[in-house]
Amino acid sequence: MAYEALDFYDIDSLLTEEERMVRDMVRDWVEDRVLPNIEDACRDGVFPDEWRVEIGEMGILGAPLKGYGCPGLSYIAYGLICQELERGDSGVRSFASVQGSLAMYPIWDFGSEEQKEKYLPGMAKGELVGCFGLTEPDYGSNPGDMITRAEDKGDHFLLNGAKMWITNGTIADLAVVWAKLEGEIRGFIVEKGDEGFSAPEMKGKHSLKASVTSELVFQDCKIPKDRILPSVKGLRGPFSCLNNARYGISWGAVGAAQSCFNSAREYALSRIQFGHPIASFQLVQNKLSWMLREITKGQLLAFHIGKKKDDGSWIPEQISLAKMNNVDMALEIARMSRDIHGANGILDEYPVMRHMANLESVKTYEGTHDIHNLILGRHITGIQSFTREP
Amino acid sequence: MGVAVLLKQVPDTTAKISISGGRVDEGSITKWSISPYDEYALENAIQLKEAGFGDVVAITCGPARAAKCLTEAAAVGADRLIHILTDSYLDSIQVQSLLSAAVKETGFEVVMCGKQAADTNSGSTGPGLASTLGFSCVGGVTGVSIDGGLAYATRLGPSGLEKVEVGGPCVFTFDKGDSELRRPNVRGIMMAKKKPIDSLLPNDLGIGDSNSMVVIKDHSSPPEKQPGQKFVGSESVPEVVEKLRGEANVI
Amino acid sequence: MSTTVISESNNGTLHPVTAQLVGAASSLGGPITVICPGGVGASDAAKISGVANVISVVGDCFETYDCSAWSKTLSPLVEGELILSSSSAIGRELISSISATKGIPVVQDVTSLKNSFSATRTIYSGKVIEEVSISPPCAISLRVNSFESAADGGSAEVSTVNVSQEVAVAVKQALARASERLDVSEADIIISGGRGMGEPANFSHLNEVADVLGAAVGASRAAVDTWGEIPHSMQVGQTGKTVTPNLYIAVGISGAIQHLAGMRSSKFILAINKDPEAPIFGVADYGIVSTWEDALPVLKEQLIELLSN
Repeated sequence: MAYEALDFYDIDSLLTEEERMVRDMVRDWVEDRVLPNIEDACRDGVFPDEWRVEIGEMGILGAPLKGYGCPGLSYIAYGLICQELERGDSGVRSFASVQGSLAMYPIWDFGSEEQKEKYLPGMAKGELVGCFGLTEPDYGSNPGDMITRAEDKGDHFLLNGAKMWITNGTIADLAVVWAKLEGEIRGFIVEKGDEGFSAPEMKGKHSLKASVTSELVFQDCKIPKDRILPSVKGLRGPFSCLNNARYGISWGAVGAAQSCFNSAREYALSRIQFGHPIASFQLVQNKLSWMLREITKGQLLAFHIGKKKDDGSWIPEQISLAKMNNVDMALEIARMSRDIHGANGILDEYPVMRHMANLESVKTYEGTHDIHNLILGRHITGIQSFTREP
Repeated sequence: MGVAVLLKQVPDTTAKISISGGRVDEGSITKWSISPYDEYALENAIQLKEAGFGDVVAITCGPARAAKCLTEAAAVGADRLIHILTDSYLDSIQVQSLLSAAVKETGFEVVMCGKQAADTNSGSTGPGLASTLGFSCVGGVTGVSIDGGLAYATRLGPSGLEKVEVGGPCVFTFDKGDSELRRPNVRGIMMAKKKPIDSLLPNDLGIGDSNSMVVIKDHSSPPEKQPGQKFVGSESVPEVVEKLRGEANVI
Repeated sequence: MSTTVISESNNGTLHPVTAQLVGAASSLGGPITVICPGGVGASDAAKISGVANVISVVGDCFETYDCSAWSKTLSPLVEGELILSSSSAIGRELISSISATKGIPVVQDVTSLKNSFSATRTIYSGKVIEEVSISPPCAISLRVNSFESAADGGSAEVSTVNVSQEVAVAVKQALARASERLDVSEADIIISGGRGMGEPANFSHLNEVADVLGAAVGASRAAVDTWGEIPHSMQVGQTGKTVTPNLYIAVGISGAIQHLAGMRSSKFILAINKDPEAPIFGVADYGIVSTWEDALPVLKEQLIELLSN
């Protein structure tokens, strides 16, 4: 069963040879190492440590960052990496997104020289795992009102509070934690062994089961003064990180959709009912055709925003559009694909329901669908409608 | 000291092959790759390089698109890349004379390639090249190591799997190897991008134009499979076995 | 046009394909010489009808298989304008080496020949049939069982040539026997069992047939899920391996869509199942409605007979 990724408008011809080689390297790795093992990983609810090692060896973590041992690839290449990882599983892509865009990126952009030298090379190799602590139990779409706080105690900072829904948390060597210092949001690097810090795993998920999701708990957590990220204050810090991750997700969703489309097409061609393959029925063709349309549109959005990321001409709202559109269409495609598979679609013989469940999380994290909607609404009208004025 | 690896670019084994006008339609092939057995040869060559045996020179003979093979080889560690540029259909003698001229130019005495290419499935190049170069040939190996000037190869011989020792210059043709094929990584890919390819025309190797002595007359699809035949009872087994040999020719 | 046939041996005796090579040469006309590396099967070769003479080439160098050494001894003695060999691994290597020495082109694994002179073979692993024109002097290797055997009844002269040639390849060690079971993803022939086998111990019957054929043994997901003794590595299907062997034998496998996804691209499919309505018969080229208990022993016996020939 050869994997041919749907590429109806030949995006492949727009890629550089390097981008193609990087994409193919990840695609082959997913084919060899993820697909044969992902269902077991999901059943057991684990992210196999070998994948962390192999992803590190490929050198794809922190893809668009330059220097300090980072790959220095184009944003298009970063997108392709996410696409191929997520064609495998959204949880695998989440590992890489968090590591690269949410943990390495803030250190790279806002950290001191010492911090960059200390953490980035190990993180690029996958030897040090990072995570991103922004969301709290009571503060998701509204991170600005977070209550995790840092106090300056002279020779250290004292952190108190809790973060929730943190990918990689339990396996992380370091966490980039956003907390209020004197009422202003700052970034802090918390290390695994720091006193008063723990990262219990959250169990019982129906989604992203092959990904580690954790709480970060700070109880009089003492961290040295040199752990503060010096160059950023306020929500600009975390939002810059989120923009990068959201960009990767817009490609990732295409990968998941391609996987579901392929499975639906192959299944429809093999499944015989009433003496004919169901691919010969009009309603099935209508669905497959819709999927092709949406994937093609999504690819073009992702590719174009990738080009704008590479030439610096982007604005965050453009990323919001790509993320929300592509995740939305991918989730619809996963559902439609499950439908085409009939009862077989509920088995883990086929990837579709796993993608479907995963995409529920992807639609919610990195800015919910509705939040991105309102970001665009504000852009269109100039009027914010996130909150009611008091 | 070093290894010359011969790589052939072929349609990816998963690519759909379509025929148009009595010829395989190369234009419709969506993915080209290094022939799978050649990849095992390349992997072994890189392992020898890592063990200190010298450089790896990757050589391919084919049209412009074949350069991609060499870049892929560079991404996993090939040091020098040679592209013998030709658009023509070549017979065994023509291919072997071009490749042997390129190998001679490297001065290397160890040559590795796949036991047969995934397009022609022939297997003539390795042994033929050995003959032209005056080298020995060990075919169908799964691994080669070099120690104290002698090569040791594991091959499937007439009496089973055996380890052989070879002295002197030798061509090794590879079956599926014992080692897993290494993946490129980003660093390898980025360095491969910068690696120059020595592009040579046959004339540069002192090989003049000649016509292929083998001319393709026609390409066609295999006949449609006959509808399945159903038999009842174990008494029918002998008949079916006859058909497996006589009709299907699979045993 | 004269033809030299490079004979093929099998465990110290003449391989039947040699008679097929002679048969093919006969249909093209002209005198036929058979050359026997190491002298193996020379007297039997002489009894093939249509052979004009046999050259038995003997020497120490034939104790080990060394392609270049053998080719160096044989080339000067091969005089035919057309050289034929079988397309076995050794046949191909020898004919490649000899034809290169003589500067003549070679076409491999040909399944039919027409005079003056076209050869047909498959390429792209059987996906395409290629017909090429080629003229003597040239070399062609022929696929086994594609050409009519010449009959017995010949009485050619056998001349023996003693050669001495240095050998560069020395066998140092015999390793694990080649009969270690193949992985399904590599095998040309696969025999797979499903839940219809009844219990995992019954896979031993499949192993026996596999041993006769040099095949790999696979299993359906149902068998793997039900029986811990059947490892996942044997699983063929949607979440197992996708295989494209020349021959896939499905025993006690119903043919659910997930299994078909893994093996439907096999060149030929033989199904054995006691249920005449089993979906596997929809994709089988040869379907036998029978219990495996009845069919497998007969299958094994018939295969042993056919292959020992």
